[in-house]
Amino acid sequence: MKLKNKKTFLLDERNKQIAYKVISIMYFLTYFAIVGILLYRQFVIGQELSDYEDIAIILTINSLFLISALLYFGAIPIRRLKVKSILLIYIVLVVAGSLFTYIKYNIFQTPGLSYKQLFGKLIIIVAITGLILGFWILLSFLGKKRLNKEIE
Amino acid sequence: MENMKLKLARIEKGLSQQELADLVSATRQTIGLIEKGKYNPSLNLCIRIAKTLDKTLNDLFWYETKE
Repeated sequence: MKLKNKKTFLLDERNKQIAYKVISIMYFLTYFAIVGILLYRQFVIGQELSDYEDIAIILTINSLFLISALLYFGAIPIRRLKVKSILLIYIVLVVAGSLFTYIKYNIFQTPGLSYKQLFGKLIIIVAITGLILGFWILLSFLGKKRLNKEIE
Repeated sequence: MENMKLKLARIEKGLSQQELADLVSATRQTIGLIEKGKYNPSLNLCIRIAKTLDKTLNDLFWYETKE
């Protein structure tokens, strides 16, 4: 039988599946390692934000785009965008952000922030969380629209 | 569960695992694992294999489940 395929390097669907799985696992290991390093530098060593700003920016952008891509390409199945669920997610994110800020400034730092300063931070958290959530809603809507168009 | 139907069809056609793999653009290991029942191929690959062996999907990949 004459061979049709004489390539020395052939990546078939099984190889691709394994590669994707390994890449995903390694990505998340790296991701959590970086999160760990950031938390360690921030809370244990007590470094200033300027000392690890570059890593923090990369990690933030990476997280935002990861969730955005998952939503747009349909990896996170959302049947219907309900206002109640969106509000719940928004509140959870704001509470988590506020708690993190409070712990960071008033437990790990002395002297802590005054209530006025904390309120200032809370406004930023509320606004940024709203913007991010709005962006994600828009992307999941566009992703769903794109998929429906492909099906038609 | 081993896929004996695929193995028999391949042997019947006079092909080795490597030759079948080359004809369907897969690796020998993938064909081996499909035959051993340790890898579930995509529908596209199933169709390519079936066409290469002049069989239908039912001939190669359908099996009755015992109640």
